[in-house]
Amino acid sequence: MKSSNMAELAELRALALRTIDGATRDLISAAKTAYSTPETGFNEHKTAAFVQERLQSLGFVVETGIARTGMKAVLRGAKPGPTVAVIAELDALRVPTHPGADPETGAAHACGHHAQIGSMLGVATALSQPEFKNALSGNIAFIITPAEEFIEIQDRLSLKASGELEFLSGKQEMICLGTFDDVDMAMMVHTSAGNGDAGLSVGGTSNAHVSHQVRYIGRSAHAGGAPDQGVNALQAAMLANSAINAQRETFREADVVRVHGIISNGGSSVNAVPGEVLYEGRVRAKSVEAIEPIAERVIKCYRAGALAMGGSVEVQAVAGYHALRQDLTLQKLFVANAELILGRDSISVLPSDQTHGGSTDMGDLSTIMPVIHPYANSAAGVGHGHDYLIEDYDRAVVAPAKVMAATVLELLSNDAQLARETIDKHKPLMSADQYVAVQRGRFTTDLYESK
Amino acid sequence: MAERANLKSSFSSTVNQRSDELERIARDILDHPESGYREVRTSKLVADWFRDAGLEVQTGIAKTGVIGMLDTGKPGPHISVMGELDSLIVPGHAHADTDTGAAHACGHHAQIGSMLTVAAGLTEPSVKDGLVGKISFMATPAEEYIELEYRESLLEKGEIEFFGGKQEFIKLGFFNDVDIAMLTHTGGETAGTLGIGGSNNGMIGKTVQYIGKAAHAGGSPHLGVNALNAAHLGLAAIHAQRETFRDADTVRVHPIITKGGAAVNSVPADVRIETYVRASNVPAILNTSEKVDRAFRAGALATGAQVRITTNPGYLPAKYDEKLTDIYRHNAASLIGDDNVIRLNHSSGCTDMGDVSQIVPTIQPTANATSGNGHGIDYMVDNYDLAVIKAGKAMGMTVIDLLADNGEKGRKISGSFKTPMSISEYLSRMRGFRSDATYSE
Repeated sequence: MKSSNMAELAELRALALRTIDGATRDLISAAKTAYSTPETGFNEHKTAAFVQERLQSLGFVVETGIARTGMKAVLRGAKPGPTVAVIAELDALRVPTHPGADPETGAAHACGHHAQIGSMLGVATALSQPEFKNALSGNIAFIITPAEEFIEIQDRLSLKASGELEFLSGKQEMICLGTFDDVDMAMMVHTSAGNGDAGLSVGGTSNAHVSHQVRYIGRSAHAGGAPDQGVNALQAAMLANSAINAQRETFREADVVRVHGIISNGGSSVNAVPGEVLYEGRVRAKSVEAIEPIAERVIKCYRAGALAMGGSVEVQAVAGYHALRQDLTLQKLFVANAELILGRDSISVLPSDQTHGGSTDMGDLSTIMPVIHPYANSAAGVGHGHDYLIEDYDRAVVAPAKVMAATVLELLSNDAQLARETIDKHKPLMSADQYVAVQRGRFTTDLYESK
Repeated sequence: MAERANLKSSFSSTVNQRSDELERIARDILDHPESGYREVRTSKLVADWFRDAGLEVQTGIAKTGVIGMLDTGKPGPHISVMGELDSLIVPGHAHADTDTGAAHACGHHAQIGSMLTVAAGLTEPSVKDGLVGKISFMATPAEEYIELEYRESLLEKGEIEFFGGKQEFIKLGFFNDVDIAMLTHTGGETAGTLGIGGSNNGMIGKTVQYIGKAAHAGGSPHLGVNALNAAHLGLAAIHAQRETFRDADTVRVHPIITKGGAAVNSVPADVRIETYVRASNVPAILNTSEKVDRAFRAGALATGAQVRITTNPGYLPAKYDEKLTDIYRHNAASLIGDDNVIRLNHSSGCTDMGDVSQIVPTIQPTANATSGNGHGIDYMVDNYDLAVIKAGKAMGMTVIDLLADNGEKGRKISGSFKTPMSISEYLSRMRGFRSDATYSE
């Protein structure tokens, strides 16, 4: 980079940081507003309206209603060039005992997505200032995604059935709808309670997953008077669960296998032999490929439960997430900016294969473009637990806004040289069309009747 | 009537003269226990006794079975009085064979005593001459349905077809012209009583083999298929179905694992289970058998193992003849008093007397002369006078009732018996229970 360009970049970066510092109270307040209106995926109407209003007040034209509640607002640079997406997730979890839970729905921001709203708005506030336009070659797309948490599967399957959705997560659906077609790379910062002492961390991966909607079909009968006439679907489900547990010794640590489930309907009344039991299962592993043999075995276990009891079982597989591949070029740039702005020890870099076993639909996006998904270590408690609370909003909102703004600025300034380099170095796993085809193929239905 | 009373009194006094000897034989067998189809010494002892008593003797029936025939020379009903030769295997029992662990923890030694008691009394010429027809004293092997692998090897060698000695007797034709059968088993009901009536569960036996894939249990469990887990799931799946077993069917399913893996650091690849499926009636046995097979298959399906399920015919449910019971009850009461003859309940245990009871009118009274748990280390016959002498007398006097007066009562009972199945039907039903199938996912 020429020294004149470097000086210009340093000036603009300083302006961005000053702007974000000046907006600190406002950004944190925006995050807290989102916290106080927790809504689960595809239902984030209030949160979306609030974010829309904030973006409009910054002068953005906001495309709304993408995948029900998603939005996109594009900031165009003076010169053409690549598009960098800054993402924020709208949705809350459902943790009724969380202090911030909606008393009616039980929805609660127990995963800290509300902080993403704040940090995304910080980037938008800073870079939408007129001073930046001329320096940018390319665009910044602010993409606000619904439904990152893969929950309420039955409700979402109803939306799928009625044609409102094809895929069950926000980014999946937005990839399918073409929202990312004009995007070249993407970043977002997620909160965390356990990624070390540094304020930020980056690197690591996440698990792929598949969801199973399992329906055991037995025959109901009076549990006291005629149990011999019944076929107990609950026993089938429990045997399947035991069978799955018996398989755990065959799971390799290197595959980071997680198999877990809940009984979503375990019978209708205790004096009737349960004739129908619903189980929602999930199989996770380090990749979609690694999931396949395990999911196949798990489905055999469901069948074994049905076979043992003389019932039937219907398994609906729902396409879940892909593993997260963090782009190393983007990651280095993010780290350099974090160190520059926040200091040497402000960020830790995790090995690229490190994972806790969770999943995110940023993984899906990472199959088709360079992405980073750093963490802001700003929360206390257990992720998805009733005690997961953002303790340090500066870390959760302000610091990520600054580092993302500076990173985006560096990517797109100087004729977007670094953005182009990032694109050149990156090898996507597949195209968006291929991704959609793969995901469609992961929806399957299997009916097994014991003979 | 006077005639019959005289015959019984003469029968009784003959028995009384030999009671010490008869009890001694039972105790001798107690001290020399032999399990089913291995009762060589016991068999010889009985055959020698029969010969000394002047009976027409046939040996080596179903390997170790013996028949001593008392033929009155006059046409009439054919009665079978039985005693079982075999012991159990209960190593801790006070009278267990130290080498084999065989032990008379089910009191069969007393049955031989009571059967010989009947023979001792009826061979007395003054008794025999008052009777018509024939009496076959049958010492039958292998009533306990155990040592399945040994019996399977006999089956393979063609030495037996069925695992129960009486079943082999039926197959070999020894029941073709039998009209009535009886045997007294020891029992643990109120001491000093004789039990009548009752009924028994029937059963089938299964041997199950899970075939998995061995692998280093620490180093590469993901390459193995765990046959023990498959077996565990199969057993859990059986238990999950217990609520569907009807009270009236008195279903019993009680598996054991005979092989659970080769070495703890290797994923088990060959695991074996033996189980019975018992119930009070054949449809319930078949229905439960289906559930059990389904459960075993589920273990294989879940884990990816193979399962081979071999089903062998077991015993049929026992139903005892009421009219015959009535005659017996009368005689038993004359020996020990009305109050000491008690009605038995249904027993969920099984016996190959069940098979006999499906073919001819049968009774299997009990001599309640024991202490301890049946099949346990502490099961002892305490009262040999009841178990051997009085039990023998009650049966012998019943035979006299059946065969005196030109065998009128015997003919009546035989004639009014509604045969559940003919011998050929019996055999085809038993053979139909046999199956051998291997399942994989």
